[in-house]
Amino acid sequence: MANEISAKQVLSAAKEIVADVADFGDAVNAEVRHHTGGRRKNAYVYIEVVASEWRELALWLKKTKKVDYCSMITGIHWPENADATWQVVAHLMRTGVTNPTVVNKRVHEIKVDIASLSGNDVPMEFEITMTIPDTREPSVPSVADIWVGADWNEKETWDLVGIDFEGHIGMRRVLLPHDSPTGYHPLQKQHKLRYHDFNEMYDDAQGFGRKPEDSGRVK
Amino acid sequence: MAEMWISMGPQHPMTHGLWTLKVKVDGETVVDTEPDLGYIHRGVEKICEARDFTQITPYADRLCYASANTWSHAYIYAAEDLLEVEVPERAEYIRMVAVELQRVASHLMWLGAYCPDVGNLTGMVWCLREREMMMDLLQELGGSRMHYNFPRIGGVKRDLPIGFALRCRAKLKLFLERIQEYEAILDESTIFLVRTQGVGYAKAEEMINHGVSGPNVRAAGHNYDVRWAHPYSIYDELDWEPSVERPSIKGSDCYDRYRVRVEEMRQSALMILDGLDKMPGGADTHYQSGDPAILGKAPARAAEGQTGFHHFEDSRGESMFYLAGGGDGRGKHPYRVSIRSPMFITIPYASKCMIGYKIADIPAIMGSFDPCIGETDR
Repeated sequence: MANEISAKQVLSAAKEIVADVADFGDAVNAEVRHHTGGRRKNAYVYIEVVASEWRELALWLKKTKKVDYCSMITGIHWPENADATWQVVAHLMRTGVTNPTVVNKRVHEIKVDIASLSGNDVPMEFEITMTIPDTREPSVPSVADIWVGADWNEKETWDLVGIDFEGHIGMRRVLLPHDSPTGYHPLQKQHKLRYHDFNEMYDDAQGFGRKPEDSGRVK
Repeated sequence: MAEMWISMGPQHPMTHGLWTLKVKVDGETVVDTEPDLGYIHRGVEKICEARDFTQITPYADRLCYASANTWSHAYIYAAEDLLEVEVPERAEYIRMVAVELQRVASHLMWLGAYCPDVGNLTGMVWCLREREMMMDLLQELGGSRMHYNFPRIGGVKRDLPIGFALRCRAKLKLFLERIQEYEAILDESTIFLVRTQGVGYAKAEEMINHGVSGPNVRAAGHNYDVRWAHPYSIYDELDWEPSVERPSIKGSDCYDRYRVRVEEMRQSALMILDGLDKMPGGADTHYQSGDPAILGKAPARAAEGQTGFHHFEDSRGESMFYLAGGGDGRGKHPYRVSIRSPMFITIPYASKCMIGYKIADIPAIMGSFDPCIGETDR
């Protein structure tokens, strides 16, 4: 009995999506990629998108490709790269979860027949990445109203990395204290964290002598 | 009556950790909620940027104090994706044993904490008794009681100890009998039923849209599980089915979420027993640490532009690590580590879930989603 999705099902579903994304033209580049570790090299869909088109792509994915789940939104700061100083990576998933069916007022839980899944019903991983050139106020369109799960992910990305999301309602600090200084986003790369090698750790096990590289400088 | 805001937490038995749930009440009825997190934010993502790939495993362990092994494995699978590592099959079996034992221990911890939430102290004592057996088994594997640092990039730290399979089988068989005891004391306890049935309704599609996954979704009547949807490890060789609950028309209530976790414990225990039988080389063999049968070769560096991510079925939902290579030390460190914590996304949803219910239902609803603040705040 097949009790998990086969590589073949995933690959054909991924190819289907990539072929359909081509309608977007130059603003969106999609390809089928494969995981590189472990026992299975599962296929997933990798999409590069121009930040301004991100919302449109998200709506399209939700409507026609049934992408129903936003797993994570990550912000990355590349200070040495002037063309792409800020990067936003969104990990989406198509889960195919539906409410259980109701027949004659009785609820029937859903046990998916995994081997028969095809097309838009195959669970799929998406990695979507977009870059923003060097700016003091990076921002990309928000998708929190498309997938509510993106809401707190976007809050976290702004809080820690400082990338804002246009159209996001109620942006606030979630992990850092509410009274953190404006413009302080610790995952930006100007805030340095020094590597302590093991010798140093033995010499100064309590860490009294250690200081971060940027100590004393105004942040 | 005038509405007012009250703060539950950061020191409140309901919170299961340090966070605040601001509740707007109208008399006894909850009309609005606002969670406030970040009390134990340690900046793990930033710390990991100055550690090499093997040094990150203990930090991943410490993300969740109730479910350390699942978190370190979630990291290891992402790191293997980044570093392009092959894993020996025997190591995958050992990892499955470690992860599923941890899942049982974590669900027992959850049930143990949930029972006093809804007024049943006996349940806590019984659950912690069985959790002790799982902790002993995990201690044999990893060497410590809570934070095992067990998996390695490319395999596992050490093989199953001599006699482990024997003790594991005996304990799991005893455990499978004792699950029936929990069901007996909880399913026949009027207090437990009154406090969990008919409160905290949540629907499957709504939960998925809100980013909630794992047992909470399976309780709402769909058997979605990352272990079959985005397969990893050796789950295809085992005889198992994800547990799924039949909810009511309104959605799953707290009772369904309790049922699905009990069912999942049983499923995990059976999975381990099955895995011990099918393990290549036999569960009684013991290879030395570092043997190629349990530890594959792994590079120490990842160049800039290399990325890796892996969706993992944690005890609380779908967890994930996203790693970008090419950090300091010519790629010896990751450039960026990003952690997807299921509870960070679930807590806001669970807080919205309790609107319309009474203040006394808050612990029952919040607890049924299994909050863990260590992973939430990172």
